[in-house]
Amino acid sequence: MRSTIIRTARTFRWPPWLGLAVFLLLAGFTAFKAVDAARGVISWHVHRDEPIRGWMTVGYVAHSYRVPPHVLYLALDLPHAPPNKRPLRDIAKLQHRSMDQIRAILQNAVVHARPPYPPPSPLSEGRAP
Amino acid sequence: MSEQLLAWLSLYGVPVLFGILVVTSAGVPFPDTLMLLAVGSFVAQGEMNLWQVLIMGSAGAIVGDQIGYCLGLGAGRRLVRRITNRVGGTDTMKRAEAFARRWGGAGIFFSRWLVGPLGPWINVSSGITAYPWPRFLLWDALGEVLWIVLYVMLGRIFNDRVEALADLLGNLTWVLVGVTSATVLGWKVFRYFRTGQAVSIDPGHGLAQPN
Repeated sequence: MRSTIIRTARTFRWPPWLGLAVFLLLAGFTAFKAVDAARGVISWHVHRDEPIRGWMTVGYVAHSYRVPPHVLYLALDLPHAPPNKRPLRDIAKLQHRSMDQIRAILQNAVVHARPPYPPPSPLSEGRAP
Repeated sequence: MSEQLLAWLSLYGVPVLFGILVVTSAGVPFPDTLMLLAVGSFVAQGEMNLWQVLIMGSAGAIVGDQIGYCLGLGAGRRLVRRITNRVGGTDTMKRAEAFARRWGGAGIFFSRWLVGPLGPWINVSSGITAYPWPRFLLWDALGEVLWIVLYVMLGRIFNDRVEALADLLGNLTWVLVGVTSATVLGWKVFRYFRTGQAVSIDPGHGLAQPN
């Protein structure tokens, strides 16, 4: 059995149909990725809000969604100075909330901070928007 | 797991960046493109220092690459020798070493920043083919510094859409890898059907002898 495997390995040559099949697979995969890349380039000028992830900080979300950071700190009942570097998943744990709840709170705050709603002032701390 | 590491990155900053880059450059899969772009965004927001990021990031990536190289040089070379002793292929291995000495520098440099997914494999194969370590270190350092600077600066510029940018860059990288591989393989297949020569992936030798 072992000697058969060794003999096969010594005399093995790549069959041409296998080369052709791998080439076609590669070409298909490349075309698929090229379409995805082209779609990304075409839609680049349209700014889409990034999905809120657990690793992001409040400041990061505020920056990405182009809203004043204090709006999001207020919504999460956090002091807005000094900037809180905790990722959202840690804030969720501390506040005994799920990431979905944190996401919903932030998205609600973002909606109310963008026109036609005026953003709340940084002085109105402790009141959710 | 990757979300947990990114969370540590935003909480602890540069030391975690160094650690993650050591591990990913040694071959552990991780979305390092997204991470570097996110770091660029943190830099733009003033949450991380640009020079610390560039120095520690490059150092982490270079250290990780040396781990892959050493694994190839030690365990990888022993394994290949054991296999070639049993099933033959010593000549092929010698040709592969000569090929690596001739073209390895370009492969190492471009796989650091242009075709990143190939990086860990090139590290191990450079060790297996005993590519001279000082030259490996030189090309590796040049490529890694370029990669870190390029991606962190891209993240710094497009700091409010890093996920979309990571997707775009990831797709472009795979297109590049796919086009390169398909061109080489397609040329060999084309030559086979034209001349009747067997398809071979033997480095430094081109095509195998006709059957």
